[in-house]
Amino acid sequence: MPQVLVIEDDETTAREIVAELSAHGMQADWVANGRDGLAHATQREYDLITLDRMLPGMDGIDVVAELRRAGRDTPVLMISALSDVDERVRGLRAGGDDYLTKPFAPDEMSARAEVLLRRRQPQAVVQRLRVADLELDLVSHVAYRGGQPLTLLPTEYRLLEFLMRNSGQVLTRTMIFETVWGFHFDPGTNVIDVHIARLRRKIDGAGQPALIHTVRGTGYMIAAANEAATVVS
Amino acid sequence: MNGRPNSWHSTTSRLILIYGSLFVVWGAVLVGVIQWETTRYLNTVIDQMLQQRMHYIASTEPSRLATTVDAAAAIDPHGIMSVGLFDKDHQPVAGNIDHLPASLLRDGQVHLLRHGLPRPDRDAERVRARGLATTLPNGDILVIAKDISTIDGIGAIIRRALLWGLSLTIIPGLLGGFLLRRGPEKRIRELQAATDPIRQGDLSKRLPVSRRGDELDQLAGIVNTMLGEIERLMNEVKGVCDNIAHDLRTPLTRLRARLYRTQQQLDGEPEAALVESCIVDIDEVLTRFRALLRVSELEDRHRAACFDEVDVGQVLRQVHEFYAPVAEDRGQAFELDIQPLTPVRADAHLLFEALANLVGNAIKFTPSGGKVSLRASMDKRGPRVDVIDSGPGIPADERDAVTRRFYRGDNSRTTGGSGLGLSIVSAIVRLHGYALDIGDTGSSGARLTLYCYTLGPDDKVGTCLSRSVPEVTPMTV
Repeated sequence: MPQVLVIEDDETTAREIVAELSAHGMQADWVANGRDGLAHATQREYDLITLDRMLPGMDGIDVVAELRRAGRDTPVLMISALSDVDERVRGLRAGGDDYLTKPFAPDEMSARAEVLLRRRQPQAVVQRLRVADLELDLVSHVAYRGGQPLTLLPTEYRLLEFLMRNSGQVLTRTMIFETVWGFHFDPGTNVIDVHIARLRRKIDGAGQPALIHTVRGTGYMIAAANEAATVVS
Repeated sequence: MNGRPNSWHSTTSRLILIYGSLFVVWGAVLVGVIQWETTRYLNTVIDQMLQQRMHYIASTEPSRLATTVDAAAAIDPHGIMSVGLFDKDHQPVAGNIDHLPASLLRDGQVHLLRHGLPRPDRDAERVRARGLATTLPNGDILVIAKDISTIDGIGAIIRRALLWGLSLTIIPGLLGGFLLRRGPEKRIRELQAATDPIRQGDLSKRLPVSRRGDELDQLAGIVNTMLGEIERLMNEVKGVCDNIAHDLRTPLTRLRARLYRTQQQLDGEPEAALVESCIVDIDEVLTRFRALLRVSELEDRHRAACFDEVDVGQVLRQVHEFYAPVAEDRGQAFELDIQPLTPVRADAHLLFEALANLVGNAIKFTPSGGKVSLRASMDKRGPRVDVIDSGPGIPADERDAVTRRFYRGDNSRTTGGSGLGLSIVSAIVRLHGYALDIGDTGSSGARLTLYCYTLGPDDKVGTCLSRSVPEVTPMTV
């Protein structure tokens, strides 16, 4: 069970985070100020830290910077009411791995936490990604479904790669937009839906089991049908 | 206050002209009165002299009269005081007046000689003169006249004095006025320069006030007080707006979380779809709040840290690639035409966001089967981007109104969106110092042109919005 340290001074928010992480099978410890948070983070081995940006005692930026100076590479999901791109950049430059602005949807937070946990797992250098009978050749940039090559546009390739690298993981539209297109603003969620729909038409042909799944109210996930059934209704 | 003020329309110039004219008129009247009084006085003196001389000569014994007249004429070789004795046939008898002045009444009163008198020392020259004539008891006619060129000379001296006086007053006055005018003009230019950022939306700026405390300072003080009040009210309104958006986000997010959990628990139940539709609605509200706060965030942003040399063409290709599937799904032709462009100084992320809003808007308002064009070309001063669609267009009388937050035109009431997209574009354009022009395509459809440089006052565009830019609604396809 992944161990998560929640550093958050607002009790209500902290309870939300802990409850959501627990619902996703994680063990969460809560600390309410920066100094205690840094002490916990350096004394124990955590798989993930959710870190509020503005904390009593010690600022979130200082906490993550100190943590990195101490040689700890624990993934840090920064959570802040400061939504400006400058603040986001500061948070990430200080050592944060991802940035989520308040107020946030708990499922968005848990999705980001899971992606960070997945990224932490040691991964062999792979040349091919595979989900059921869907394969993506990372060298030749060609996708195959049931051994048949698929014709993908560059964007569709990037989108598929992001989905497959996080197969079985729910990805929100915001996460998809930030990662695949590299921009941090709200482009209107339906545009992402259109791109997913086009990719889906190419991946999930007639008569083939669907691999790209819509997670209601949250986002999308690519997974084999039997894996997805436990997550997606 | 556009352009350089006309110097001749300045208050100082006008005052100088008015006072100058009054001075000239008053000087002329004053000198005229002096001259008239002087002439009248001198004429009176001359008249009395002539009367006395007439009385003296006329009282001479008749037998010696001719001798007396000749003697009087002899002592006056220059003809300053001429005297002549004529018989009853008007033939000269004595004196230095050759002809009896025809128009001179012989009433013993002094009159101005209509034809003057010839001066014996000046060939054929006649001088102005006053004279009188009287008929003696024997029928002879005695005439005495006096040259009055001296009086004319005094008049000329007075007139010259007037001209000198005016010249010595008006010329330094004009020069002084010119110099005086430069001071206020310089201050007006300073005030004009100070208003530039204010006109561009920076209400924190104030007009300069000197220590003189003159009328301009008083006016600047009044304007500054007014600006302070406007800024306070604007901040209050903006603060209220932002606070509402900010404060409502948290409970809405919690509500969304509860609905999400409920939806998870109702997995497979018919009510799950209803809960999901509630989540969609809440997401839409949150999207609007995010857009609203995004506008404020951009408006409050005074950084340039992420500004760099940006290839507008590259950003346009990204925007085109991002929206091409959407246009295709809607059965629209989505054209991209990029001419060679010079790099611009911009934040690439924000430029993408602005162009994405413009394109998203164009796609949203263009009906199926329509066309959206994304064109970039070099203007005389930099790259320009045109987003042209074949939709209903933006009516001319709405092109300024669409700059307001939450404005929904007639054409957009039935479409989704919050009316904040163009506010975001506006804020980004303002941050960059760029300009946006809202126009039409000549037929139906809208043309939104983003000038990737600051428009000058001489740039001819329809709705020039260099700092205050309209709003489009966010993309909802």
